[in-house]
Amino acid sequence: MSAFANVVFGGIFHAAVLFLVAAGLQLVFGVQKIVNLACGSFYALGAYFGITLVNAALKAGLPPVLLLPILIVAGLLMAVVGPPIERLLRTVYGRDESFQLLLTFALVLMFQDVLRFIWGANPRSLGNEVLTYGKLSSGDFTVPVYNLLVIAAAIAAACLIGLFLRRTSYGRLLRATAENRAMAEALGVNVRAVYAVVFSLGTLLGTLGGALVVPTSAASLDMAIEFVIEAFAVVVIGGLGSMAGALIGALLVGLIRAVSLVVYPEFEILAIYLIVIGTLLIRPSGLFGKAAS
Amino acid sequence: MPLLEAKGVSRHFGEFRALQDVSLAVDENEFVSVVGPNGAGKTTLVNLLTGLLLPSSGQVFFKGQTIGGVGPIALAKRGMARTFQLVQIFPQLTVAETIAAAVVSQQQKQWRLFAALSADAAVFQRVRQIAGIFGLSDRLEHAARMLSQGEKKLLDVASAFALSPEVILLDEPTSGVSTSEKHALMKTLIGAAKAAGVKSVILVEHDMDLVATYSQRIIALAEGKVIADLPPGPFFADPHIIATVVGKRMSTDARHQRS
Amino acid sequence: MTQGPRLLLVAVGVVALGLVPTLAPPFYANLLIPFFAYAIALLGFNLLFGYGGLLSFGHAMYLGLGAYAAAIVAGVLGIRHFELVLLAAAFGAVAVALPIGFLCVRYSGIFFGMLTLAFGMLAHSFLFKFYHLTGGDSGMRVPRMRILGLEFDALNKIELLAGPFYYYCLALMLLAGFALWRIVHSPFGLHLRSLRDNPQKAEYLGVHVPQLRLLAYVISAVYGAIGGAILGFRIGLADPELVHWTHSGHLVFMTVLGGFSNFLGPVVGALTLTLLQDQLQSITQYWRFVLGAMLAAIVIFFPRGLAGIAADAGRRLVRRQQPQVAA
Repeated sequence: MSAFANVVFGGIFHAAVLFLVAAGLQLVFGVQKIVNLACGSFYALGAYFGITLVNAALKAGLPPVLLLPILIVAGLLMAVVGPPIERLLRTVYGRDESFQLLLTFALVLMFQDVLRFIWGANPRSLGNEVLTYGKLSSGDFTVPVYNLLVIAAAIAAACLIGLFLRRTSYGRLLRATAENRAMAEALGVNVRAVYAVVFSLGTLLGTLGGALVVPTSAASLDMAIEFVIEAFAVVVIGGLGSMAGALIGALLVGLIRAVSLVVYPEFEILAIYLIVIGTLLIRPSGLFGKAAS
Repeated sequence: MPLLEAKGVSRHFGEFRALQDVSLAVDENEFVSVVGPNGAGKTTLVNLLTGLLLPSSGQVFFKGQTIGGVGPIALAKRGMARTFQLVQIFPQLTVAETIAAAVVSQQQKQWRLFAALSADAAVFQRVRQIAGIFGLSDRLEHAARMLSQGEKKLLDVASAFALSPEVILLDEPTSGVSTSEKHALMKTLIGAAKAAGVKSVILVEHDMDLVATYSQRIIALAEGKVIADLPPGPFFADPHIIATVVGKRMSTDARHQRS
Repeated sequence: MTQGPRLLLVAVGVVALGLVPTLAPPFYANLLIPFFAYAIALLGFNLLFGYGGLLSFGHAMYLGLGAYAAAIVAGVLGIRHFELVLLAAAFGAVAVALPIGFLCVRYSGIFFGMLTLAFGMLAHSFLFKFYHLTGGDSGMRVPRMRILGLEFDALNKIELLAGPFYYYCLALMLLAGFALWRIVHSPFGLHLRSLRDNPQKAEYLGVHVPQLRLLAYVISAVYGAIGGAILGFRIGLADPELVHWTHSGHLVFMTVLGGFSNFLGPVVGALTLTLLQDQLQSITQYWRFVLGAMLAAIVIFFPRGLAGIAADAGRRLVRRQQPQVAA
């Protein structure tokens, strides 16, 4: 029983990180209608930089307990790549969605070598700093406190995003632009500026997710490519453009992965793809999304 | 047996009753206009007649078979074509190719994977014939997106005629066309119908002058009901019908004529 | 570009390709075998993308299918005849593409892209995880085979690849290209292009949109599998990375690089990328960055690709030579 609880919490932790990246994807798709294949690259960037910053901080004498804040800062800092990339994407805004997709694929290729150039081809990981946060246990069931903190952070982020979109006037502006760009423009919304903000926010969520995951997994070049698929699975299952969908989808994907890893390892990622395909076929709009093409 | 028939057809959208108990029949060799103020249900009627919508009650019959929910491809196969108010083109295809697409369907050649289309005399003879009727002969090699708005409209209608449908429904074919060209267009449509072997034409129109001159029969809709189904003579002789369908427009037109 | 000059260009290209084994060291002929494989695969891919308007991000799955067909037929079953491998690859492609295509072509745009991506990665994880069947990440060996029933005992693998197999592949590419040319210029091809431009209007003109899309999908799958079989022979291995979504991305890259609105565009793209990648890899380990930057440049500045640029240049040349014709 407690072994199962361990697995479930592992899944929820993975879901928390997935949610952050997926939320970024949803924002960008919802408002700009761009499918960003480079979200995995942002994730990897956050991860690598997180490790670098933590190591630098430790060397500078900062106590390991500051691990989480430092990682958050790392994630926030790397979001700086957002605006220039958005400027680049701006050149293909009016065009066919295939072109936008291809441009993000070009970014994936470029990012691979940028990451390789800065951090080398070998995976990197943190030491045992995360242990300073300790563990919560009850019998056989243990969960690292760090994981709980990240889960809490993800929930907080979800609430913040939800409040922001629903309760603030800027959030309403975003939703209006997502609903009907032409109308929003006609009503005086500076859509260009909105797009820049949204994309940067999406990037931020991606880099933050990557930074937060490094105490438990290594940062590797493969990350950028493999994570995209999972993030997409979340977005499809939850429904394109929906925040609630990102949350529920992330939970589903995280838990399914965790459970199948234990029950039937070969099936692990296959299960996700089957659900994605099933969703696309039975209910293409996903759990919460709007109508399909 | 009428070619196209609606029997007691109604259609609601939630609480909104778009059409109520509409019955009409169109026989072979008829040129019928459907008129009515905005919101009267004309487009809903056309959508029902072409099987795009299912009636909430009643049935629509085409050549004796129900046509509800049939879908555009089957519709074309059964012998009905329609155009929309908004002009539809194939941006990257030429005028000749656009018309040829319809001819290929009509001649049932779409499954030929290895036949050279450009060598198919039967197809191109028909393409040239249709293009000639619609005055597009010197535009055959032009890409559709390069045409003027009026030419695009002609092409849209021409490609529908190229299907050689038995019945063709045209949704405001003269909208956006200048007044002087409207009559020419109507004459073209009538000539095209004869040449393409179209048996009946149903037209949704706002221009009462055209309707009076060219229709054999006028069906007037108002608030979802048929209020008249008459030849032009009796139709325009009834002041009540005129008032409902045309409303204030008639009097403003009269004022313009006086000045 | 009109027929005459284009045909001449193709003839020159074919002759040039034909001379490579005799004029250049075997390394180059060997290098061009994947070009033939990709050229065939991309000709088929572009039927779906350029002519049909459907962008598949899982197309590499069919190349993988071809390679694994080669491994199974020639390796596991011991039938070392390339023609039979090609046949098996083609049949396999039809068998897989029919159900998957049927499910996918009901959608277009981004949903089609995502569905095909998901199916591709499903295949990838299947090949990876079920390693007792498929060899996992070590892949499956593709042994040397007879072509046209001939063993070519006297030649070692490199000599075989740079010699008889090279010409074999060149001939295959010409055959595949000719077949596709006919398909594209047939009534089916016209209906395909019409549904690309405006699916709704196409339906009203009697175009069987879903069925034609499915047919285009299956044809592109068969072409992909043939290309994959060639790759399998050349590399001697069928491995799961052939099926990864990034490989599908490369297929799209080559197509767009060459120009997807041009019949020969994909072939041009395959040649360019094959040669370019080889050159880049010897110059720098950051060749992915260069390729990525190139793709970005093409997408932003030259969306019609290299063939498009060439065609525009050719048209301008022709216009300059002819007096202005009255409109």
